[in-house]
Amino acid sequence: MSAPDLTVKIGSMTMKNPVITASGVFGYGEEFFGLADYGELGALVLKTVTREPRAGNPPASRTAETPAGMVNAIGLENVGIEAFLSDKLPVALGYGTNVVASIAGDTPEDFAHCADRLDSSEVAAIEINISCPNVKKGGMAFGVDAEASAEVVAAVRGATKKPIIAKLTPNVTDVAAVAVACAGAGAEAISLTNTFSAMVIDVPTRRPVLAAGTGGLSGPAIRPAAVYRVYQVARAVRVPVIGMGGIWNGNDALEFILAGASAVAVGTVLYADPAAGSRVVAGIRTYMEQQGAKRIGELVGAVRIGE
Amino acid sequence: MSESGMGACPGDRGQPGTGAYRVRAEVAESERLPGDHHRLVLKAPRIAEEAGPGQFVHVWCHPPEEIGRPPCAAILRRPYSISRVRPPGEVELLLRVRGVGGRMLASKRVGDQLDVIGPLGRGFQIRPELRRAVIAAGGIGLAPVPFLIEALASQSVQVTLLAGAAHDAMVPYRVDRQGAQGASLPELAALGAEVAFVSEEVDGKLVSDLLEARLGELDPEQDEVMAVGPRAMLKRVAELTEGRVRAQVSLEERMACGVGACRSCVVPVAKQASPAAMAATEGGLATRSGEGLGYGRAERPAGLGATALQNGPTYKTVCREGPVFYASEIDWERLDL
Repeated sequence: MSAPDLTVKIGSMTMKNPVITASGVFGYGEEFFGLADYGELGALVLKTVTREPRAGNPPASRTAETPAGMVNAIGLENVGIEAFLSDKLPVALGYGTNVVASIAGDTPEDFAHCADRLDSSEVAAIEINISCPNVKKGGMAFGVDAEASAEVVAAVRGATKKPIIAKLTPNVTDVAAVAVACAGAGAEAISLTNTFSAMVIDVPTRRPVLAAGTGGLSGPAIRPAAVYRVYQVARAVRVPVIGMGGIWNGNDALEFILAGASAVAVGTVLYADPAAGSRVVAGIRTYMEQQGAKRIGELVGAVRIGE
Repeated sequence: MSESGMGACPGDRGQPGTGAYRVRAEVAESERLPGDHHRLVLKAPRIAEEAGPGQFVHVWCHPPEEIGRPPCAAILRRPYSISRVRPPGEVELLLRVRGVGGRMLASKRVGDQLDVIGPLGRGFQIRPELRRAVIAAGGIGLAPVPFLIEALASQSVQVTLLAGAAHDAMVPYRVDRQGAQGASLPELAALGAEVAFVSEEVDGKLVSDLLEARLGELDPEQDEVMAVGPRAMLKRVAELTEGRVRAQVSLEERMACGVGACRSCVVPVAKQASPAAMAATEGGLATRSGEGLGYGRAERPAGLGATALQNGPTYKTVCREGPVFYASEIDWERLDL
């Protein structure tokens, strides 16, 4: 039997396997250098950048550990698009796999500016972060509104020929409607979910643990909720869906794939196991061999409902 | 084999990167100490060889072979400063057992394996011209002090340790109150330091009170203060030493990644550090040659840099650009205590 084919295409970006890093968690890529071979992954999605550098939310604390998860409110601290292009991107490209930039902004024009600057770079695709729950302006404010989301996608579409991935928030009533609007405006893929809005309170002091008050929950705690949203979106759009939310191993990734995801991202798990991405790839490959699946596409959306 | 590489790939010592190894380390000793403290000794030769005083390791609390199963509790690694390194290739940690992660580690037995990443962060810088170091340490801040004393003493630096805690049981060492010179910590004195110890409960004094009384003895060119402990103590040390003598402080903050990626553990830094500190951080990193213990090589972690802004605060990560900073680097007014 020939080795199973894990290749995935997202627009013009071809990935050797469906496993990528989730934005934010992986920083600019350079921080993890040496702890695993990240060149083995399908793509590396780097930390969200904005037009100008941002300091992010006040510290102490920006993160809180919770059962099977963590809540963060970093607030898009980043070096800005120019330093990203000159200092960060060249290092990440050194991993030898697709590099995807993630962008955010306060206005559609901010997004378009970043996309325009990235258009001539070597990034393989651009992810639009319209789902960050931890900033006051922009971020999730776009992602909770289908029309506003489409407006951002359209603005970016006008600024770049790179594949566009719209990253959605689960903190909406109908995530499929937002996905449909983004695909209609020119997004070549939909990724979800970003974190679930969350809060942790320190009972002795009666104060929120996070300095920002609230944050976003990630990790295995959100996985079933994320799988369901991926299932909803995959049934609603024709473009590829990238699923994420608490993936820890190959089996978790396969849940997302069977629900309809063409690719999957590892996030929080990287803090525990920096080599989790390769472990997930191996788990998917083993399952394909056991099932006799020749191409990963055979498994996408292959959940058996009502059989 | 007591230590095996897990995630390392060829060329992993290059820049940028953590300069750290991910290893599977065997527990060589596991000992419960008074006051909820616990001593763990790990066989981790590569970490021991590279580590410097003030650096830390990031420990996965669950069995290494279970890393593929998501845990409900302690989903993040736990950072612990390296308390000592000792031949042959052992790394000693002193934990204060408080939360679930610490309890899991305290239950480890000799022969158990741990998944450990290290050494991480920027430790204490030992300038070639350093003549005398006064270490100010409070409570569990004493954890990295043995390593620091040994490193300083091996480079012929005269070491004074001013130690303190809320009460005697809050210290992971035996407190000796029999001496005529006041209380001491004999285990640390034996490493080559003059030691003075106070507790708020018995002596009604703070470490910073001891430091204040000694400030006049310190030479601004050749002497330095190195502080580890609660933030209020560190801030007081910064106030006392400002403009008089260089001070390095080791900060703690909640971490997630441990390598500078997630930006969880940031602290506000001053827009312009004092020229002396800048020179010391950027130009003066060469240390005296290490003599067999491997901490002679001062290596600044990859220049990830602070997120520099025109307006508003600037932050640096405790895990990567720290945990040890020059006191003049920190924006103490903005730092949450």
